[in-house]
Amino acid sequence: MGQITYRQAISEALWEEMERDKEVFLYGEDIGLGGGAFYITKGFQEHFGRDRVVDVPLSEAGWTGAAIGAALTGMRPVIEFQFADFVTESFKMIVDLAAGNHFRQMGPVPLVIRLPGAALVSAGPFHSQNPEPWFFGTPGLKIIAPTTAYDAKGMLKTAIRDNNPVIYLEYKKLYNYPVNELPDILRPDIPSDDYTVPFGEARTLREGEDVSLVTFGTTVLQALEAADILEEEGVSTEVIDMRSILPYDKEAILRTVEKTGKLLILHEARKHGGISGEFAAVVAEEAFEHLDAPIQRVGATNTPIPLSPPLENAYLPSTQKVVDALRELAAY
Amino acid sequence: MSETTAERAGIPATSDELARLDYFEDLRDRYLSLDGLDAKWHSFERENSYPSFETCMRLHYFMSHTRAVEETLDSAFRSGHIPGTAYFARGNEAASVGSASCLRDEEWLVPMHRNCGAHLVKGHPARSIMAHFFGRMDGPSRGRDGNFHIGYRPKKITQLISHIGSMIPVAAGIAWAEKARGTGRATLTYIGDGGTSTGDFHEGVNFAAVHKLPVVFIIDNNQYAYKTLLKEQYACKSLILKAPGYGIPGFLIDGTDILLVRKICSEAIDRARAGEGPTLIESVTMRLAGHSVYDKYSDYVDLENLRRWTNERDPLERYDTFLEESGMATIEEISASHARARADAETARDEALKSPFPDPATLNDDVYAP
Repeated sequence: MGQITYRQAISEALWEEMERDKEVFLYGEDIGLGGGAFYITKGFQEHFGRDRVVDVPLSEAGWTGAAIGAALTGMRPVIEFQFADFVTESFKMIVDLAAGNHFRQMGPVPLVIRLPGAALVSAGPFHSQNPEPWFFGTPGLKIIAPTTAYDAKGMLKTAIRDNNPVIYLEYKKLYNYPVNELPDILRPDIPSDDYTVPFGEARTLREGEDVSLVTFGTTVLQALEAADILEEEGVSTEVIDMRSILPYDKEAILRTVEKTGKLLILHEARKHGGISGEFAAVVAEEAFEHLDAPIQRVGATNTPIPLSPPLENAYLPSTQKVVDALRELAAY
Repeated sequence: MSETTAERAGIPATSDELARLDYFEDLRDRYLSLDGLDAKWHSFERENSYPSFETCMRLHYFMSHTRAVEETLDSAFRSGHIPGTAYFARGNEAASVGSASCLRDEEWLVPMHRNCGAHLVKGHPARSIMAHFFGRMDGPSRGRDGNFHIGYRPKKITQLISHIGSMIPVAAGIAWAEKARGTGRATLTYIGDGGTSTGDFHEGVNFAAVHKLPVVFIIDNNQYAYKTLLKEQYACKSLILKAPGYGIPGFLIDGTDILLVRKICSEAIDRARAGEGPTLIESVTMRLAGHSVYDKYSDYVDLENLRRWTNERDPLERYDTFLEESGMATIEEISASHARARADAETARDEALKSPFPDPATLNDDVYAP
């Protein structure tokens, strides 16, 4: 049992899975000798060798396709994109080739696609994006968004053992986030024994009675901060971390709406075309009579993500925006 | 040095010759090899490459069967049995059968649209191919796809996606897995002349070259990418000139000569199995029919050139002539092989038409692997 950073959790999951299963290997740019842009695989190549920790040429579509080829033979590739934004290079490989392969009866594609995404201070339009809306409409893919070290480790293990292509979102902002600065609920102890976290099960971070706040990714931090502020004002907020976006825990959303009657959906990606639209639609279809207020959503503005701090701050969903939305809902 | 040895060693090709390359004239009974910037002509001593009678007739059967299967499918399309469209490969029979016949059962084949012959000779039954074209349950995709978007897992044949070029990296990845596991197996894949313009072609070949992977890339250059001419597709004189840029050996061959295809491919596959890395082969043919069943070929094709290739470089006719003139087979044996190839295609069609259409209730099955 112990406390580790989110980055260490990902690194440990990879290491332990590679020790456990010789068919697991890594492709990525600069991951071998250099340990990767974020040092997730530092020391891996020395231990596992150049054949399992492979420095690939700068050609994302090429090595994504190659990983799919290896997966077709039964190997279990884990591929690292240096930044999530660059996954657009490999879009057809993932969406057209990997995702539909099993449906076309051509066998499973056990592939993990690691995407370090979301905003980090002033990383600009090509190093800050949230890629999940691009993939959400593609059957055959799974999309995972862990926010705690516990989930990051347990869900990466689940992803590696899964027989489908899994888009594993990881959050640069959380990599080295000091463990002692995190709210207690976001730092569960990591078991020393092997463990996994199943896909499709949301986690309630905070029980509440008045308003429900459903979120995933880095915005769990704003959600918890906002819930603290509302509590001082006498409003009790239930906070749910979805953790898994495809499949997602529909029952958890419906349950909390039945309990509080008021729903705010929050994510860092743009509100327009964001996953929150699907969640809201499901509630409208299946829990309409439990709603006591219009469903609210908070996400980034409908613009490309800008670099300069005042612009970036205006683009991102801030704690203040979440507080404002919760207050409005509570007062409705 | 005997003349034969000299021919095997090759005669240097001058840069002037490479700049004036003519696919029809310059590949008569000879081929070009490229090792780095060292380009050489080699005469093809066909008499030294005679396979056994059984192999000769096996190749003949599969070439003839390929043509018969495609012609049977074409008429099935005209009769309304094929939903969607169909692409055929008339003129590519020698290139497909000659190359894929070099693979072992346990080696992966990564075919493209014009490789029906590769499917058949690798062991994919014609009735399965036809059921797939007809959208039936007995096709390998159980009605989820059609046309030559077709794979066959029991014989290690992948299914392509329509995005041309994408399968080149996939073939490289399969070869990567073979190398990682130390199996000593080769992987064989194809791309069209148009496909060499894609980024994926470059990324896949480069990846294979860097990691010295056991894979053979065949460019089926049939001189048309749908309705686009070669001169609109690439500025170099021959696609094989790309090989030195990747640091791998290249061969430019007449893809209508099955014995030459077999010789060059089996040597390339042997090099791959031995750990000597990938080979790029440009196999030149002529697409003797339209791009698809909907394509009006005569709108854009150079009819005079088409006539010349049809008359002199129809792979099946060339092979018939060779078998007879070399004394490898009698006219009766050749005719019997054609008759069996066609009868088998027609039986396959009849069986495939008996296969049921998929039940709509199965639509949601298998989106995810268990």
